[in-house]
Amino acid sequence: MPVAITLRSVTKTYHRGGEELRVLDDLDLDMAGGTFYALMGPSGSGKTTLLNLVGGLDHADAGVVQVGDTNLADLSGGELAKWRAANCGFVFQGLNLLPVLSARDNVELPLLLAPLSRSQRRAQAQRVLELVGLGDRLHHKPRELSGGQEQRVAIARAIATDPQVLLADEPTGDLDRATADSVLLLLQRLNRELHKTILMVTHDPQAASYADQVIHLDKGKLGRIEDNRAARS
Amino acid sequence: MPWKLLWKNLVGRPVRSALTVLSIAVALALLCILDATARGFTAAVDLAAQNRLVVMSQVSLFVDLPLSYEPKIAQVDGVQRVLKFQWFGGFYRDRSGFFAQFGIDADRFEAVYPELGMVDGAFADFARERGACVIGKGLAQQHGWKVGDTVPLISSVFPRGQSGVDPWTFTVRAIYEAKRKNFDEQTMFFHFDYLREALEQGAAQGPPGVGTYTVQLKDGARAEPVMAAIDALFEHGPQRVRTTTEAEFNRQFMSMMGNIPLLLRSIGGAVLFAIFFAVLNTMLMAGRERTRDLGIMKALGFGNGQLGLLLVAEALALVLCGSGLGALLALALGSVMAPFVSAFAPGFAVDAAVLGQGLGLTCVLGLVSGAAPALRAIRLVPVNALREDA
Ligand SMILES: Nc1ncnc2c1ncn2[C@@H]1O[C@H](COP(=O)(O)OP(=O)(O)OP(=O)(O)O)[C@@H](O)[C@H]1O
Ligand SMILES: [Mg+2]
Repeated sequence: MPVAITLRSVTKTYHRGGEELRVLDDLDLDMAGGTFYALMGPSGSGKTTLLNLVGGLDHADAGVVQVGDTNLADLSGGELAKWRAANCGFVFQGLNLLPVLSARDNVELPLLLAPLSRSQRRAQAQRVLELVGLGDRLHHKPRELSGGQEQRVAIARAIATDPQVLLADEPTGDLDRATADSVLLLLQRLNRELHKTILMVTHDPQAASYADQVIHLDKGKLGRIEDNRAARS
Repeated sequence: MPWKLLWKNLVGRPVRSALTVLSIAVALALLCILDATARGFTAAVDLAAQNRLVVMSQVSLFVDLPLSYEPKIAQVDGVQRVLKFQWFGGFYRDRSGFFAQFGIDADRFEAVYPELGMVDGAFADFARERGACVIGKGLAQQHGWKVGDTVPLISSVFPRGQSGVDPWTFTVRAIYEAKRKNFDEQTMFFHFDYLREALEQGAAQGPPGVGTYTVQLKDGARAEPVMAAIDALFEHGPQRVRTTTEAEFNRQFMSMMGNIPLLLRSIGGAVLFAIFFAVLNTMLMAGRERTRDLGIMKALGFGNGQLGLLLVAEALALVLCGSGLGALLALALGSVMAPFVSAFAPGFAVDAAVLGQGLGLTCVLGLVSGAAPALRAIRLVPVNALREDA
């Protein structure tokens, strides 16, 4: 079942040295289930903050964040952690992998929280790594992988527990064009074949072109929303 | 639980882990040796016989008691036997060849000190011969003395001959072993009568009395009334006495050397702190380095309990490896040092009690030092941890 995401009057304010910084300002946003969204905006416009709220990593100061049937404000800290493990796949901004663990062990990490046997975990980790085209890199440590391979392992980990929502923060930020394209094609496939709802932050218009819709954020306010599908057809 | 992560984290920093383990091992070994020595000292007090009293001058241990006291003490109700004990103060060859020698009553000694078992020769052979002596096993080993050997000693308390430095000679007739740890194996016992005859015949000079009397109580006799009765006996002189239990006497005797067990245990405590800081430092560094890892794991849905447990378990794993190694080291050191240390701390032994206490303490410290980064991990907000540059 594709999962829709709804934000109603969401406000997030940070306080730093007595100064008040309103990062998200009374934001309303509807994202349809099974759609691939790109989130664009200048640095500091609140993209990561928005992703954190949708992924249940942070609480909004006001407003409602609803993912599927769940209003995230209703969940306690522990419940939120369980909810994340079951419902959200994350690709974080910057380094994603635990350096001491192999690619397969990194992917297995979220599976430890699922009721699976050791052999089931192994099989699933291997399956998703094959899905992202890294079936031959199971035992490589992160530093033995290229940047693009690292990001693909991170995506494999994000989808290992088969969550319906995928949140990716600049997954192609440090990659060259060709490598970025392969990662973006992978996300597009996950959206089209497995109907994941994807929210991807990017600065790169070409990366955003892989998404169905592009949401623009500026100074905590919603800008225009472009529909690439309409443009494509 | 991601136990594999624990292991990978430990072997991911092999040098740091190994150094921490080694520092714990050395520190625990030292702690055990110090504790064993402290216990060795106090064994004489803790394991002192319940049925023996010591009568000494009220003035000081170094003031002699008249020989005429012995029959009077023997008359006291509840007294089984009275044994003379006279400090000889001799040394073998030179002052460094010093050990304790006592003149005693050979006919009663074995009955009063049943914890001494003869491992070579026979006590009866000693009892039969005026110039004979019994020596401890440790002493025999130290000097290579065997049954039948003659031991020449020069005494500063009892100078002999014209020059005062003629040696006394004693023939080894038996070698004892202490069946209980309250007694050291570095002492020589000889006939008090041998000493007395020499003094009476003018062959040697020195005080005519005895240092202390050891009183053996009758079965079932209570110590307090007997002690009071003996003290009352000589209340009006010529020498007032003080009667104590053997445990109390040993305690006082040891406190004359200063509180060595306390000193040793203080050093042990400092060592314990050193272990604590070694592990704490490693774990805090590890926790800090892994801020991003911890943030990622929290974001993935790992709970505070799981992450805290992981860090505590990691500290505990380091401590257990180090402690295991340290225990082996302590056993090895203990067996090498035993002959030397038991000379002044007869109860010295790196045994289950010593190792158990050491391991228990280091485990507690491991838990505490693992708790510090664990608490930090629990307080960590994933959003902030992920914003920190990796
Ligand atoms: N914990 C915090 N305390 C104070 N201010 C914060 C905190 N986290 C974020 N901010 C501020 O909130 C604003 C939005 O941050 P956010 O990370 O969402 O931006 P972004 O759009 O993801 O930027 P970038 O493209 O550089 O990643 C920034 O100005 C940032 O400095
Ligand atoms: Mg960002």
